[in-house]
Amino acid sequence: MKAFEFASPVTLDQALAELPNDVAKRDSVKLFAGGQDLLTEMKEHLVEPTKLVNLKRVPGLDRIELAPDGTLVIGCLATLGALAEHAETKNFFTCVAEAARSVGSAQIRSQGTVGGNLNQRPRCWYYRNEHAPCLKKGGTECFAYSGLNKYNAILGGGPSYIVHPSDLATALVALDAQVTLRSAKGERTMALEKFYSLPSEGDVTRETVLEPAEILTHVRVPAKSGWQSTYLKFKERGSYDFALAAVAVAVKSDGAPRTIRDARLVLGGVAPKPWNVPKAAAALVGVALGSAEGAASSKRAGELAVVGAEPLAHNAYKVPLVQGLIVKAIEALAAR
Amino acid sequence: MSSKLPASPLEPRAQDGAPKKKKILVPKVENGHETMVEIEVDDVAGPEWGPREKLRLLNHEFVRVDAVDKVTGRARYTHDVRLAGMLYAKFVACPLPHAEVRVDLSAAKQVPGVVEARVVRDGEIRFVGQPVAVVAAKTREAAEDGARAIKLDLKPLPFAVTREQSLAANAPEVNRRGNASKPDERGDAAEVTAAFARCAAAIEATYSVPVQHHACLETHGAVVDVPSNDAATVYHSTQATFASAGEFKGPLKVSDVEVINEHMGGGFGSKFEAGVEGRVASELARDLKVPIHLMLSRKDEFLAAGNRSGCTATVKLGGTQDGKLVALSASVDRFGGLGGGSHAGLPYIYSVETSHRSMRSVYTHLDGNRAMRAPGHPQASFAMESALDELAYALGVDLVEIRKRNVGDVHAKQLERAAREIGWAEHPHKSKPDLSDAVVKVGIGFGLSQWGGGGHPECRVTVDIAPDGGVRATVGSQDLGTGVRTYVAAIVAEELGLPLGGVTARIGRTSYGPANASGGSVTTASLAPAVKHAAFNAKRSLLEALAKTLASAPDELVLDTQGVYDARSKRRLSWKDACATLPPAGISAVGEWQANLASNGVHGAQAAKVRVDTRTGEIQVVKMVCVQDCGLPLNRTGVRSQIFGGMIQALSYALFEERVIEPDLGLALNANFEDYKLAASREIPEMVAILDDDDTRGVIGMAEATIVPGHSAIANAIHNACGVRLRSMPLTCDKLLLGLAALKKG
Repeated sequence: MKAFEFASPVTLDQALAELPNDVAKRDSVKLFAGGQDLLTEMKEHLVEPTKLVNLKRVPGLDRIELAPDGTLVIGCLATLGALAEHAETKNFFTCVAEAARSVGSAQIRSQGTVGGNLNQRPRCWYYRNEHAPCLKKGGTECFAYSGLNKYNAILGGGPSYIVHPSDLATALVALDAQVTLRSAKGERTMALEKFYSLPSEGDVTRETVLEPAEILTHVRVPAKSGWQSTYLKFKERGSYDFALAAVAVAVKSDGAPRTIRDARLVLGGVAPKPWNVPKAAAALVGVALGSAEGAASSKRAGELAVVGAEPLAHNAYKVPLVQGLIVKAIEALAAR
Repeated sequence: MSSKLPASPLEPRAQDGAPKKKKILVPKVENGHETMVEIEVDDVAGPEWGPREKLRLLNHEFVRVDAVDKVTGRARYTHDVRLAGMLYAKFVACPLPHAEVRVDLSAAKQVPGVVEARVVRDGEIRFVGQPVAVVAAKTREAAEDGARAIKLDLKPLPFAVTREQSLAANAPEVNRRGNASKPDERGDAAEVTAAFARCAAAIEATYSVPVQHHACLETHGAVVDVPSNDAATVYHSTQATFASAGEFKGPLKVSDVEVINEHMGGGFGSKFEAGVEGRVASELARDLKVPIHLMLSRKDEFLAAGNRSGCTATVKLGGTQDGKLVALSASVDRFGGLGGGSHAGLPYIYSVETSHRSMRSVYTHLDGNRAMRAPGHPQASFAMESALDELAYALGVDLVEIRKRNVGDVHAKQLERAAREIGWAEHPHKSKPDLSDAVVKVGIGFGLSQWGGGGHPECRVTVDIAPDGGVRATVGSQDLGTGVRTYVAAIVAEELGLPLGGVTARIGRTSYGPANASGGSVTTASLAPAVKHAAFNAKRSLLEALAKTLASAPDELVLDTQGVYDARSKRRLSWKDACATLPPAGISAVGEWQANLASNGVHGAQAAKVRVDTRTGEIQVVKMVCVQDCGLPLNRTGVRSQIFGGMIQALSYALFEERVIEPDLGLALNANFEDYKLAASREIPEMVAILDDDDTRGVIGMAEATIVPGHSAIANAIHNACGVRLRSMPLTCDKLLLGLAALKKG
């Protein structure tokens, strides 16, 4: 393994001072938190940083708190395990806790952090193979496009067809989460949805707009009174796996029977970023949860969710899979 | 001297001095087929397992004697061996399936900590992952760095990694004698054609299974120590400890090799040879004069340590209206990489009046297959059980009835038992799949297994009784994972009236006495009789010695759990007191294989119940049942564990496992435990293991039978649940969703 420096700052400012401004150096200095993605990349020689900036000694970044206005504030060092078990998250931001719980194994959740999860790199087996010089690694071809693409994107693909692997991102986008990005120059806040970029939108070797000198320090999820949510992930191997497809559904409902007044629907595992489908969500509005009409609207939402899907040779199954998951997720919400 | 006992433990004679003879059946293997042959042996009073109801330990349930050592990390595996001055060696593998390789070692030799770098193989490389160079270094990290520093000059050559590529008109040459072997034909094709005309119905379909990996948790490798010019010690993760000792002698150039293999982390058929890793470790240890630790990396293990060959079988099967099988024709392609592949043949288990089959190997630029738990049988099972199911539905015959109609009595009885346990009587879809609009559906499927599992005379076991009452049973045999150490102790404890903890079993070392290689489930039937014989002889020697001390006779002495009772003097001695009378050297007795204690040929029936969610294609196996015979079960917990392990491995094969090689790039895409998916805790269904206690024979190995039919039963259950026939494993949601969509369209 290439030798690297290990910096252990004790303040956020010290950590920020370690980061390069130069885009060309972004892979030579890497932030280190749980290490669950970074170490696997280093072991496979996909990145060979000269410096790791350990964030774990910076106090306070692991907090999960409910602000007075009901906003959920998650520090980037909060572990997935802690988030999955956090009482208010489970009660008021259910899909976030469910997404955290669906990640990896108990061991990975006890180490993996929220910041690391949101910033993790793709799992595409071409990307992860050192000997395949794919687009994501600065090569000229996305081998998945014409190759073995069972696990790749059906939506938003091109020129790269990776799917974003983060469960948490899908759930957080459904709840309109904002992220705080800090650099030595200051701070910016943006919708998590805008944090992710499509391969066609910018640098194909990146999945986010994070600058090399920035740290994603916090995630803020606004209070959503009267909302319920769920995250439903389909894993090929139930014990631990990345999503073949996933859906995060959030609905605001009232009355008896409960009638949906507003809805969010985001797909995971099918596109290079969390795939927000507002038109599909709109199809859910106005119908009663659990009614026959509700079942029809779930199906309609499923149809709208995959509008524009362009399956590759081996992943057409993701279309019915996503549709099935949407129906099941809304059924699960109706049963609550 | 007792009239009931022969004069000497190892030279039995009848009373008149002339040995009496008796005829017994023993297994004989010819061309891979095991049959029973009659041989004549001396008819002497020898060890017997005795009536089952009188057994105190054997045929009961008990925990492995080494269980705590294993789960606490105390058990020492080859990987764990650390010797003074030892170097860690690491391979560099060729990433391409076919290439001209030149190796540049110069940079590696400059890496701090690297002691040696060598070419293992250059020139033409013929499979992905073939080791081409090796580095030996003072730390594992330095070995990794050294391996990275080796530069490979690769000239890619045209390759074939799939069946289609290998058989294409312009395919590169994989094998000098052709990319496909000459088909091996059995049966008369014309007769079969005529027989199909007599069938009430016939089905024809193609079934395929992918290449599966052994996925041993301990990778292949050895730690080689050559402390002198004429002797060496090799710690080797092997299922053939004794053959291994012979193999290592060559490259080590020494006259004596002691192989040590106290615990091993799985073999499943892949660990019979020292392999390139054993040879290279030996050469390094011999030349550098320091111990060498060379264990394959996980990636090396996936690519260069064998596999279960894949297969495609096109089968036509016909039967009478009531489900009697009349005609079968089959054409089988085996995919064993550079190897020939393995297939048990068709028809499999079920009797078919007339059959013809043609079978060949299709070669690719991938490492050769090796034996894997019931080699060739799961492949044959998948095609046969699937085709049989399809025919049953075509005929409208009950899935259990059609099976019973075409097998012998033992299998038929076991099928009934499995059907009862899985809930067949209450199941509404016995001859038609559930085609209702229900979104979540339940189906049931079945499959049968068979195996030999007989033993042969290869083991020599020593039982020592010390004057302090300590008992040790010693034999060099490895424990492949079936619980050898435990039953060695238990058999001796049973014979001597001791608790299980009263006997220490020492195994896994060539100097402990010869034993067989563990393959073909032969270990139990080969070793257990020799252990019993040694214990029997030790007991007799003990009683003979005691008789002298007590001025009694051996046949007046009774040894049981209370110690020794002398009927002549009406005295009782505790075990400890009895042993205290022994001379300082104690007693040492040897045992060898006894044909009457072993038997051969096991049968099994399995059933699987699955739940299918038609919205997502989720397949959940909810229950599996295995009814299995095995002669005398030495440790019922051990037998059940083997059954559970076999069912889990078959479930994993059914639902997940598949080697993926990128067809255009030739790269291995899932040579790791993330992408090569194995079933884990949540995939494990309710499992019921039923031992067929009607079987009163001697001990027989059964471990391999248990893996044969589980995946077939699961595939059949999926069809039964929803009407989609998945003919290509693994049975994944993408295939099911597309099948459901096709079904809907009609």
